[in-house]
Amino acid sequence: MSTPTTTNWAQALVQQRSSPAPAAWLDNLRQQAESRLDRLPLPRRKLEAWRYSRIDALFKEKFTPVVQAPDGASLQRPESNSPHVLVFVNGWFSPSLSSLEQLPDGITLKSLAQTLNDEDEQLRQHLGSIADKDENLFTALNTALINDGLFLHIATGIHLDEPIEVFYLNTASEEALLVQPRNLLVLEEQAEATLVEHFLGGKGNDYFHNNITEILLLGKAKLNHYRIQDESSNAWHLSNIFLRQGEQSHYHGITLSFGGKWARTDYRTSFSGAEADCNLRGLYVAGDDQLGDFHLDIHHNWPACNSREQFKGLLYGKGRAVFDGRILVDRIAQLTDAQLTNDNLMLTRNAEVDTKPQLEIYADDVKCSHGTTVGQLDPQHIFYLRSRGIEETMATHMLCQGFAQEIIDHIHLDSLREQTLQRLQHTLKKLQE
Amino acid sequence: MLSIKNLHVNVDGKEILKGLNLEIGKGEVHAIMGPNGSGKSTLSYVLSGRDGYEVTQGEVIFEGRNLLEMAPEERAWAGIFLAMQYPVELPGINNMSFLRESLNAIRKARGEEELDAVAFMKLIREKAASVKLDDKLLKRSVNAGFSGGEKKRNEILQMALLEPRLAILDETDSGLDIDALRIVSEGVNLLRNPEHAIIMITHYQRLLDYIQPDFVHVLADGRIIRSGGKDLALELEDKGYGWVLEENAA
Repeated sequence: MSTPTTTNWAQALVQQRSSPAPAAWLDNLRQQAESRLDRLPLPRRKLEAWRYSRIDALFKEKFTPVVQAPDGASLQRPESNSPHVLVFVNGWFSPSLSSLEQLPDGITLKSLAQTLNDEDEQLRQHLGSIADKDENLFTALNTALINDGLFLHIATGIHLDEPIEVFYLNTASEEALLVQPRNLLVLEEQAEATLVEHFLGGKGNDYFHNNITEILLLGKAKLNHYRIQDESSNAWHLSNIFLRQGEQSHYHGITLSFGGKWARTDYRTSFSGAEADCNLRGLYVAGDDQLGDFHLDIHHNWPACNSREQFKGLLYGKGRAVFDGRILVDRIAQLTDAQLTNDNLMLTRNAEVDTKPQLEIYADDVKCSHGTTVGQLDPQHIFYLRSRGIEETMATHMLCQGFAQEIIDHIHLDSLREQTLQRLQHTLKKLQE
Repeated sequence: MLSIKNLHVNVDGKEILKGLNLEIGKGEVHAIMGPNGSGKSTLSYVLSGRDGYEVTQGEVIFEGRNLLEMAPEERAWAGIFLAMQYPVELPGINNMSFLRESLNAIRKARGEEELDAVAFMKLIREKAASVKLDDKLLKRSVNAGFSGGEKKRNEILQMALLEPRLAILDETDSGLDIDALRIVSEGVNLLRNPEHAIIMITHYQRLLDYIQPDFVHVLADGRIIRSGGKDLALELEDKGYGWVLEENAA
């Protein structure tokens, strides 16, 4: 039951892979992924996971993979207060735009391509090992063309206090580019770090950003992970985050989604130990010609783990969103505490959301709940603000920001929180014009 | 200051106010009392410009301007303030930011300079202390998770901050214990001066023990059926509304 066009679409992209990988094991990984392209279930709208995505339109587009490191000389260095800044241009690490200060012993923070030359054992052991579950065409496509990305390894007990800030710049090009960073983060026992990722594209740039991030947290490791997706209005963006959490590890993740014509983020979490905490939060803002698309697959396969999933959407114009949140609790996963919420604020009649929370529970001693809302601004709230002298447009602005604030308040970095508020206000101001 | 003539108002097609007349002068405090469903809250909402209240007849003139043509925010700029019976909760909107936004919007409309963060902070601390509102509540979201008394005090704080020309208190006393009632009353008494006017809508005589009105009106079935001095309130307390209604019917 294959759709030839779709297979061809992916195969054609892989054929453009220029040279063999610098390491034999990686070449092997690529080729295995390539051989799976034919066998994988094809993302089609008949499949539940792809029903509401603009997948058909994507397959009609022609993309060119970026097989060589682009010249980033003409680009401006992104502003950052962090001492550890990595910049990727069209998926490739740019040393000239990056600035990496001396890191404490026990921390490896490099580009994947750089690391390949060093024959890093950690990389070889873990790359692809977390993403092997629930592989789909897009994850295989990324693997089949692995070139570069972010590699972070923190040894046992080491804390990196300053945040690592990563920028993915997607530049203008004559052809629509396929950009595929491939990231691996390994935090050994009791290691701690904060990672901030910005996905950026110049106005109107046409590309498909298909990234994969594999995260392995061992016992008591702790990662704060902020992701700000602000792609070009013509961009296709697909993020796959594969997370495996060890005993008593802690993951605190927030994705803020503002840009792209199609911006999909998939989180897949599973556990390899008990009593771990997984907090996933997100805010999506989508207007005309935009689809914000979130899929969560949280697999509670160990006892006594907590997960909190809280996602909020602000939709305006003809903006669309999809929220598909699934929590699966195995029979063994007693004492699971999982709470999922999704709230959507519709600012216009033409905005649309498909929201689908799912709990699948096979254990009998758990605390699980889910709740979704789809609503509009409350006229009583607007009246209250207006009766205090605040103009209607400003009142709307304040209420929208208030709605988003609950997510934004979970950003523990002051400068990033401020930056996010400004980004949100930028969109809200446009709404009032 | 405020002149209401023959005001008829429909809500959902049903006539609630049926020819209400009321004159309020500068410096005066008016109490409007009446049984449930007589139209007290409708009057307060019509004056503050909430949607859903259809004026079919009559006029409302506030300091020479046709109030009914003004948007809610324009009324606030002109100096009208409604302390609501059920203040809404606004999760995610910081109380302090809201109060500053409100004050500055009104100052701007009046042609006054907006207050910067430092000047505002000083002012709001003073005002909060005057209505005994815990500073912590300034840092929280507007009314979110506030107790009934805290919400009412937050309303009085806004009134103290905005210094309206005409304050309308819609059953501000309901649900308050004696201590809260005293604090709210002190807030109202602070506003009382020859330039400001106050309308207190209340169900009970109790509030009038703390705030002495110049005039008391009885609102029943959409009209003011009796007006008098503060003694009228005592008489109502004593005899209930029944006798006024009966006399009116006679």
